[in-house]
Amino acid sequence: MKERMRALWSGAALVGLLVAAGTVSAATQLKGAEAPDFALKSFSGKNLRLSEYRGEVVMLSFWATWCGDCRAQLTELSAMRDRYQDAGVELLAVSLDQSARQASEVSAGASYPVLHDAAGEVGRLYDVTKMPVMVLIDRDGVVREVFEGFKRGNEAEYLKHVQALLRE
Amino acid sequence: MLAKWIASVSVAVLAAVAAPVIAQEAPTQTVAAAAVPQFSPRADEAAEQRTEFRTLDEDVQDLKKQALDLNRDLFLLEEELLFPSNTQTAVFVSMDVGEFFGLDSVELKIDNKDVANYLYTERESEALLKGGVQRLFIGNLKAGEHELVAVFTGQGPHTRDYRRAASLVFEKGIGPKYIELTISDRETKQQPEFLVKEWE
Repeated sequence: MKERMRALWSGAALVGLLVAAGTVSAATQLKGAEAPDFALKSFSGKNLRLSEYRGEVVMLSFWATWCGDCRAQLTELSAMRDRYQDAGVELLAVSLDQSARQASEVSAGASYPVLHDAAGEVGRLYDVTKMPVMVLIDRDGVVREVFEGFKRGNEAEYLKHVQALLRE
Repeated sequence: MLAKWIASVSVAVLAAVAAPVIAQEAPTQTVAAAAVPQFSPRADEAAEQRTEFRTLDEDVQDLKKQALDLNRDLFLLEEELLFPSNTQTAVFVSMDVGEFFGLDSVELKIDNKDVANYLYTERESEALLKGGVQRLFIGNLKAGEHELVAVFTGQGPHTRDYRRAASLVFEKGIGPKYIELTISDRETKQQPEFLVKEWE
């Protein structure tokens, strides 16, 4: 009886572990690894390559027009970028919308580069399964933090991490 | 007899123990005798430390050099293994002048299969204009006839969107094959020109 209980408990623990492992999203697994490089066309018409931002702290944000939290997050990130741009902080907003027109309309007037990933290749490269996703990349091009989702107040945490990377 | 033997052994032991002490003291005595200023031991120490640092620095530089050499050898080895010379095919992109064409992207097809699609940033286009050559593709092709099609997109004269293709049918022999895609200006026609060249 005791042995059966022990087997049952160990089975439950294994299931629990598997479930926990499953909840760690693929995007967060990029932490500590070199940020996958990509080149995309921006709405300004220029092509931008991530590796050309080496030496700067990059906030790479994946968003879509239909995602309200994404727009709220971009507003906060944009303010942070304007504040720390001279210190070497850049915001790259990657739209995963299929329609470029809609994304371009929503992001019109943005002070930061907005890129369009119509084929979703970069989204796949970063294993974006939720929205929004903000990947914080340090000056050496290494993924330091991955934030999934956005709630009011998260910006304080972003700020803390960005400031820490600037101090390095 | 025994007492004599003990006495001789103890003298020998004493001599052995005292020898290093005497040896250690000797340089101090010499220094004192030479009447060198008091700060000289420190200066000596500093000089010694400097030499030590220099040697350490040289060691670090040497290690860095070795790591770079090793990295280069590994890179060459990897290329040789992945792309053996009998099947190796490489395609390069270069630009000459570029007054009539602003490069945006190049799409490369070999035997009707997409093998490369490259988007150029402003910095990369500038590098090409300054004489840089980019290796767009490296892969393996078996010996025989192959067809290469390169599609260039960008801005042509009067900042108009421009899309042009260039193709080449080439024979892959037993040695490596190098092909260059060159974008140049044709002054007489005021148009860009796209050439595909085979390197011998």
